[in-house]
Amino acid sequence: MTALLSTRGLSKRFGGLLAVDEVSLDLPRGGVRAIIGPNGAGKTTLVSLISGRFPASAGQILFKGRDITRQRPWHRARAGIVYTFQVTSVYASLSCFENVALAAQRRLARGALGQLWLDERALQARVAEVLAQVGLAGAGAQRADALPYGHQRLLEVAMSLALEPEVLILDEPTQGLAQAEIAALSERVREISAQVTVLLIEHNMAVVLDLAQVVTVMDRGRVIAEGAPAEIERDAQVQRAYLGGRC
Amino acid sequence: MTTGPEDGGAPRRRLGRVVALHLAIVAALFLAQFLLPAYHYTNVARIMVLATFAIGYNVLFGYTGLMSLGHAMFFAAGMYATGLSVYYFEVTAVPALALGVLAGAVVAALFGLVALRTSGVSFLIVTLMFAQALYLTILYFNEITFGDQGFTLSRALAPLNVAGTAVPFSEPALKYNGAWLVVSLALLVSAALAASPIGRVLVAVRENEERTRLLGYNTFAYKLLALVVSGAIAAASGAAYALLFSYVGATFGSILYSIYPLLWTLLGGAGTTLGPLVGTGVMYYLIDVTSGWTSAYLFVVGGSLLALVLWFPLGIMGAVRARWLRWLP
Repeated sequence: MTALLSTRGLSKRFGGLLAVDEVSLDLPRGGVRAIIGPNGAGKTTLVSLISGRFPASAGQILFKGRDITRQRPWHRARAGIVYTFQVTSVYASLSCFENVALAAQRRLARGALGQLWLDERALQARVAEVLAQVGLAGAGAQRADALPYGHQRLLEVAMSLALEPEVLILDEPTQGLAQAEIAALSERVREISAQVTVLLIEHNMAVVLDLAQVVTVMDRGRVIAEGAPAEIERDAQVQRAYLGGRC
Repeated sequence: MTTGPEDGGAPRRRLGRVVALHLAIVAALFLAQFLLPAYHYTNVARIMVLATFAIGYNVLFGYTGLMSLGHAMFFAAGMYATGLSVYYFEVTAVPALALGVLAGAVVAALFGLVALRTSGVSFLIVTLMFAQALYLTILYFNEITFGDQGFTLSRALAPLNVAGTAVPFSEPALKYNGAWLVVSLALLVSAALAASPIGRVLVAVRENEERTRLLGYNTFAYKLLALVVSGAIAAASGAAYALLFSYVGATFGSILYSIYPLLWTLLGGAGTTLGPLVGTGVMYYLIDVTSGWTSAYLFVVGGSLLALVLWFPLGIMGAVRARWLRWLP
């Protein structure tokens, strides 16, 4: 079967550092794929290449069979590859409504005139729907920076969902969250993954084992293992590189 | 939970209020001409033309977050395109004004294609350099432009045909109503832009450009659009100034006229639709009144600006919005 998203020998060099080293990855449609690995393994760089934040140094990225390696980031976002930042980067001084509206109006605006004027009622309905979907119903009027940190992460997810992604890249979504918040967020991700293919970078192994159907392990820019979560947990190489003494 | 402008159901009511407020201000400026004494009559006409400049500046600086120190180049582009076409080719006022606006938009577009590759301080420097280049160009070709001395349009400019009557441009009522028309249009265009989906994206570019790119927006195109709109409005101000006050001179292309719109916008409140108008008016009268008391009036002006930065960093309308009227655009 053809993958929804593939990379072929994808590399990124920053000066003397090969951050991503010939990564070939196939992401089938649906479900949750986790990428794990120690700090500096190149996980964030890899997904940044996929979302277009940085240009690749070598290799190819294919989305639905089309080469998108040289596509600009905004074209990729419109095509359905949506990146959710590791460090929360909601628009702090804008309201939650405005934050989500920015993402939602992209989809609601039809044609050139849609950019000048669009149906505010439809926009409001869509924003309310997405906020409710992540459990932030009624928070629209609040400034984003007035939200507790965990809710800012949810707002970030809401912005991504409003873009109607086909591939949703979540970069360490549970980082800095309390245990109860992690459980709630995991539940949202599970719901989302019923419709959207999720690419999840995560350090929290419990979350990975709980959510992912396939786990890819990276170390020093390379993929060193790939398989079902249970196999990965047993893999000796992975233990050495990543799980170390902790497990 | 606080009830803000974006709470469910409220945006329509808010939009109604915003439209009503802007129309009321436009109407008030129109009616003021029947009440103002002669001295203030001319002042307000001048303020309205200059406020148009600030309104244009605010589109780029206030909403999109790009600080320019070169807006004199757009003001001068409008002023000279209009002024030279009247002076040499005896073009009538309305097409000359249109030429001025077009010139501003074209200069802004060409400039933007180069300058928008930079951002932040580099952008500021590039705007400054291009504006100085245009200023020096005006001086260099002084056989055509009359350089520093400038030229007047009173001889070449045909009277305006208003409903069958030829009204000369020396007529104060024409100055006032011409200025009113220009500032009203600029105000309504900038308010409509701010309320549109495009306005929302411009603010997003100001707050976090990379995030906006990853939400699927070509931020370069949006910045270029803001620059062209900003340049066109600034040029409309320059063109109207030439026509209504009958003078075109290189001073209007100097660095001073790049600093003014920045000061007016900061004073009135950057990123508010009414701030530039308020800021221009306050600054104009601040200078007008204090220069009557003392020749050291710039001390008073400087002191007021310091006070503003210390206590009202958001500017007058910014403070009004933050404290009282949260629905202001």
